[in-house]
Amino acid sequence: MAGSAIAGLGVTDVGKVYGRTARDFAADAVRRACADAGLRTSELDGLLVTPGLSPGLDVSLIVDLGVRELKLLTEIGGDGTSVCAAVSSAAMAIDAGLATTVACVFADAPLRRGTSAGAAFEPGEPPAGFEGLLGDAGLASVHSRFALAAHRHMETFGTTSEQLGAIAVAQRQWAAGNPLAQQREPITLADHQNSRLIADPLRLLDCCLVSNGGAAVIVTSAARAASLAQPPVHVLGFAQSHPVHREHRGSGFGLVSGAAEAGRLAMRMAGTGIGDVDIAELYDCFTIAVLLTLEDYGFCGKGEGGPFAEEGNLMPGRGRVAVNTGGGQLSGCYLWGMTPLVEAVIQARGTGGDRQAARNEVIVVSGNGGAFDHHSTLVLGPDRRGGP
Amino acid sequence: MVRRDEASAPFFDALARGELTVRRCSDCAELAAPQSRACPVCSATAHEWTVVEGSGVLVSWTVRRDRGGEILAVGGIVELTEGPWLRARLAIEPCRLSAGLPVTVLIERRDGEEPVPVFTL
Ligand SMILES: [Zn+2]
Repeated sequence: MAGSAIAGLGVTDVGKVYGRTARDFAADAVRRACADAGLRTSELDGLLVTPGLSPGLDVSLIVDLGVRELKLLTEIGGDGTSVCAAVSSAAMAIDAGLATTVACVFADAPLRRGTSAGAAFEPGEPPAGFEGLLGDAGLASVHSRFALAAHRHMETFGTTSEQLGAIAVAQRQWAAGNPLAQQREPITLADHQNSRLIADPLRLLDCCLVSNGGAAVIVTSAARAASLAQPPVHVLGFAQSHPVHREHRGSGFGLVSGAAEAGRLAMRMAGTGIGDVDIAELYDCFTIAVLLTLEDYGFCGKGEGGPFAEEGNLMPGRGRVAVNTGGGQLSGCYLWGMTPLVEAVIQARGTGGDRQAARNEVIVVSGNGGAFDHHSTLVLGPDRRGGP
Repeated sequence: MVRRDEASAPFFDALARGELTVRRCSDCAELAAPQSRACPVCSATAHEWTVVEGSGVLVSWTVRRDRGGEILAVGGIVELTEGPWLRARLAIEPCRLSAGLPVTVLIERRDGEEPVPVFTL
């Protein structure tokens, strides 16, 4: 699927930005992505909408974009995998001749003035039945599901909280070089260990930020992208994997994710290997997600993610692969699958400034949904004619 | 407050009788966690409820706290001796928890709400 490229990138104001709906952010992101590509929004013929938690963002976004007709319009779900899935769907639609110029957009506005960030992701009024029983045990929140995964990994492989902390520290270090990052003050391992427990063993600094905002990319054919305003970012490969972790003896819950299979397949489509990857932009809703994805993609052995992080491989300028170069969702901003994709596009263009990785020939982007229930992978590459 | 719905009614009725139950597929006889909507092996929806021993080992756990760090609930995944996983409340101090810890069920009866399975040492 070497025929498609990302030709435009648009990111709205992100963070504690109030008074705008997810749909407002989405339309703003699409306009910015079109402007970035040197296109008018009326030139779009495809739109893939990936909503977050907030209601109101759906296919009706079309009426805000000044288009007369689209050839492709749908909502793509799948949690944290939706953005990678949207870009791969756009690439396939373009390859099939369904559309030529497809905007993929994510936006969310879960933050309300005066309420805590965590409140946005807390379950509401406890439901009846088994779900209610889960809530009674303190196991209904997203945090607790990842905490269960983290504890299982720790107990099985000896992974420690300090090793998870090394991920948070390294990403904050990367964020310091990213003017778009929400959290740029360096942190130490002690800061991580002293941050309050959210759901044991996960501490506040193991958890992503919560942000209002949106981002969009424009996907078009590589040939057309070459004539637009920005250097094309080629879509080299993609794949998904959704392993079912049965709630039963023998389950791999917390130990393995779909990254293993999706990574392998996406690499194969791209005609490259994990050893060729220069930059990995990994979905990092929690530190444990980075660790498990590193292992499953094969950047380190299974169970060795903890020591890999502890040895400093994730710090800027240190490891063989540059990981979450914009600070990720932990320190940059939380736009679900758009957070890693936006940074991947910036790195592929070579416009990362202080945080630009030394090499950018092969960039892998991951999306994680549920608690390691869903995985999607994109492999991107820079414009081969020039580059940074 | 723990309340029943249609799907969980047989489970709570069994708890009230002092029995912990899981689903058994009527087609392939596989056991599945109580909240399953269909057999995870063959996808059949026909099922019976079967009483389990109520013992197992801890797979993982977490602790829910308030902003001050006070413990609100300790919960975990218990692998029942019969195989299915149960996500349930634990009545064990967090510092004593480890994977593989043998645990056994205790049915907590509460005023005005459904009984709750709680695992203890
Ligand atoms: Zn069955």
